[in-house]
Amino acid sequence: MSIDMSQFYQVFFEETSEHLANMESLLLDLDVDAPSLEELNAIFRAAHSIKGGSGTFGFTDMTEVTHVLETLLDRLRKEELQLRPDMVDAFLAAGDVLRAQLEHHQGGPAAEEAQIRLVCEQLNKLASGEAAGHESPAAAHQGAVSAEIRTVTLTCNLPAEVVADAGALNNLLASLAEIAVLDVTHAPDATDTTLAAVLTTQKSDAELRDLLSFFVAPDMVKLSPGGDQEEAFGFFDSEPGAPEADPGFGFFDETPSVPAKEDLGYGFFDEEPPKPVSPVSADPGYGFFADDVASVGVSSVTASGIREEQDRDGAYGFFEDAAGKPEHLANRNISAMDSPAAIEGQGYGIYVDAPKGVGLFDDAPGIKKSAALAASPSAAASPASDSSGGRVGAAVSAAPKTGRRESDKAAVATATDTSIRVSVEKVDQLINLVGELVITQAMLAEAANAFDPVMAEKLLAGIDLLSRNTRDLQESVMSIRMLPMSMVFSRFPRVVRDLAGKLNKQVEMKTMGDNTELDKGLIEKITDPMTHLVRNSLDHGIETPERRSAAGKNPKGTLTLKASHQGGNVVIEVIDDGAGLNREKILSKAKERGLPVSDGMTDHEVWQLIFAPGFSTADQVTDVSGRGVGMDVVKRNIEGLGGKVELESSTGFGTRTIIRLPLTLAILDGMSVGVGGETFIVPLTTIVESLQPSLSDIRTMAGDSRMVHIRGEYLPFISLGKVFGLHCQEDITRGIVMVIESEDGKAALFVDELQGQHQVVIKSLEANYRKVPGVSGATIMGDGSVAMILDVSAVTRMGLSPNNSQRSLAA
Amino acid sequence: MEHAETTGIVASGEYLTFTLGAEEYGMDILKVQEIRGYDAVTKIANSPPFIKGVINLRGVIVPIVDLRIKFKLGEPTYDQFTVVIILNIGKRVMGIVVDGVSDVIQLNSDNLRSAPEFGSILDTRYILGLGTVENRMIIVVDIEKLMSSQEMALIEESVA
Repeated sequence: MSIDMSQFYQVFFEETSEHLANMESLLLDLDVDAPSLEELNAIFRAAHSIKGGSGTFGFTDMTEVTHVLETLLDRLRKEELQLRPDMVDAFLAAGDVLRAQLEHHQGGPAAEEAQIRLVCEQLNKLASGEAAGHESPAAAHQGAVSAEIRTVTLTCNLPAEVVADAGALNNLLASLAEIAVLDVTHAPDATDTTLAAVLTTQKSDAELRDLLSFFVAPDMVKLSPGGDQEEAFGFFDSEPGAPEADPGFGFFDETPSVPAKEDLGYGFFDEEPPKPVSPVSADPGYGFFADDVASVGVSSVTASGIREEQDRDGAYGFFEDAAGKPEHLANRNISAMDSPAAIEGQGYGIYVDAPKGVGLFDDAPGIKKSAALAASPSAAASPASDSSGGRVGAAVSAAPKTGRRESDKAAVATATDTSIRVSVEKVDQLINLVGELVITQAMLAEAANAFDPVMAEKLLAGIDLLSRNTRDLQESVMSIRMLPMSMVFSRFPRVVRDLAGKLNKQVEMKTMGDNTELDKGLIEKITDPMTHLVRNSLDHGIETPERRSAAGKNPKGTLTLKASHQGGNVVIEVIDDGAGLNREKILSKAKERGLPVSDGMTDHEVWQLIFAPGFSTADQVTDVSGRGVGMDVVKRNIEGLGGKVELESSTGFGTRTIIRLPLTLAILDGMSVGVGGETFIVPLTTIVESLQPSLSDIRTMAGDSRMVHIRGEYLPFISLGKVFGLHCQEDITRGIVMVIESEDGKAALFVDELQGQHQVVIKSLEANYRKVPGVSGATIMGDGSVAMILDVSAVTRMGLSPNNSQRSLAA
Repeated sequence: MEHAETTGIVASGEYLTFTLGAEEYGMDILKVQEIRGYDAVTKIANSPPFIKGVINLRGVIVPIVDLRIKFKLGEPTYDQFTVVIILNIGKRVMGIVVDGVSDVIQLNSDNLRSAPEFGSILDTRYILGLGTVENRMIIVVDIEKLMSSQEMALIEESVA
């Protein structure tokens, strides 16, 4: 049963990134003074899931970091430690390290070893800080000395050359004897190189490992607390040569060579051991116990007795807790070390569910083996095994199922919403197909108009229904691509926190309208510009607490991120209550740079200056901002998305940056207009109003330029037919004037007729042709013909410059 | 025929021949996606006259070029017999209007000669050679080069 795990890697990567993001947001929300248990548990779960996943897939480095992370978290959630801000910092740093490691596994650069070690040490220090006398496995791992005398079962496979060299072996045993009361239960020989021993020592596991490291690789060494009951494990362990022959063997296997390969379900293997190399092909019953091994492998000191104790709470608790609370378990086990037999009795007793339980396992190796054999589901009803053994088998084979169900349920409970992962291409394909369907439906509807409504009543009713259904379908399909703005906002608490710390500012971040939905493509592209804006606000906008206090403001600045729908647009605002833009400074800087400025410029014009490339008012370039690239890039990115950026600022009260974006890049609400026999689509969002002008409203200026007088406003009059060089006679009295608004201001666009309002699928003209001035794309109308979608601001510009209006590209 | 080698190698293979006015042209059949009748096109503003506009080809917007106007050959009439050859050039799809499609012929280096260089509307750069089949002269054009040329204005300069 060997399944290539790499095919699941992608899922793991995605899930882990989600868990990391989730963990980070939870950490940032955490109230340091009064952390809610609920939140701590959620963070713990996220860390635990990462650990489980990375273990399953053999990403040992991540398992190690999450493990120490968990250790500290566990103490926190059990209220053994008080949460401190530096802990949150350490958690966030650990999250960063994990992310770096994750990227490394995805083919990115290797995570910095020193950084990882630093973070682990930090976490360990925090975890053990107020825990004198307690020994967490992680601390032990890191070499903390325990004052308690413990009994440890040691098992390791010695390299053949060590076994062959009697001197070396004696050396090893002698050095062990120096530090511990040594009771060798299985001496290695030529056929079986396993060394099994029960040590009673004061030394920590790490020290024992160090000692053994001269002879064997540290990861080959198994140390498990407890004495007697571990002997059984040791015994089974001593036959690693025949795992295949004995499926039950793996079940009790204490070596790290636990199957990561056979995959029986992801949740189920949550607790896979960190060492993925697997010579053993085990059965499902095995997997259950893989958990045991995982906690041993990770923490090195998890007590099996306690594990069984946990087991009484049900299989689920076993899964979650055995690895989840290793330190806790170890502590308890250590304190209970004087009566390991009692623990053992409990543990096995529960399993076997028979008074004979203890006896069974104290029995001769032969019976143990039969019990183990019976543990494989196929052999559960094996007549060869004795009755107790059979029952053990049944208990064991039943347990994984429960465990799996339970953990599945937990997964559902932890995920706030159920979702499936679909590639964007598939969704886009679906959108395209639905777009075609809409066109076909419109064609049908148009063709049906020719029928006599009385004769073809049913047909027409059907077509009506079809059009409603296609519209609904289109909306639902489009909504697949829509994601809430919280996807973007959620990354900022961290940015703000880090930056505020770096700049010694106090900043509170607020978000509004997190659920505003935006097309996925836009979500991805809006993040960078927003990061620029947020950094700008923090660096230049919000003042230091001292200056804020001096100005009579709350020393803690506020940064608000707000998203909302406005018409067909999504409006995203970045608002700070900082110092605001400094008009004089911007003007003087602009003069320095030789930009055409005058003191009489309106505020709006002055603010636009900061969007000029290379413009910065910062006196010195910091690593946060000040190079003057930001705003220029922001503006270009947003305009590339078909959006606009505006700035509002008031000195002393703050700055508001407003980004307007179209809802989606694929569909457009438009008004179809007829000009000279051609049909054009005008984006509905740009239309302010449409009206029929009277001749007296049209005024001329300097002879040629025409204006329309609409309710006290003079708007430039642009004839669409002229802009596009269409042969049409302009009859002002019969046509329609549309007041359109673009980045270049308002204008009156003259067209022959308004045809109707449509939702159109935007098709690229550039795919097979080239960019056409004044046209942003094309679409297919209900009758199958192609209509051009106007680029309103380009049309306005073309209409306003007299050279352009009659221009033809004729070659 | 001293220029025979200068115009480069002419690949032998199957060519689709089409007529423009009285002349017969050939092009690599592998570039042809389909042949269809002429539909109403949507005009593109401010485009050269030989670019008739765009059509909706099963949901794809395809530009249509009238080669008769471009090469000043034949009468640009549009009726139910007007033929559009849809081409696949690179990843682009485009259509050309011709007077008619005759047949598919096999040409190899034996019956392909390179064209003499002289000033004509159709630059010799775009002519692969002259083929002779049963006393007909077929002007074999490098349709890919022609359609992606700047003078066709079909493709953005930066892309071409």
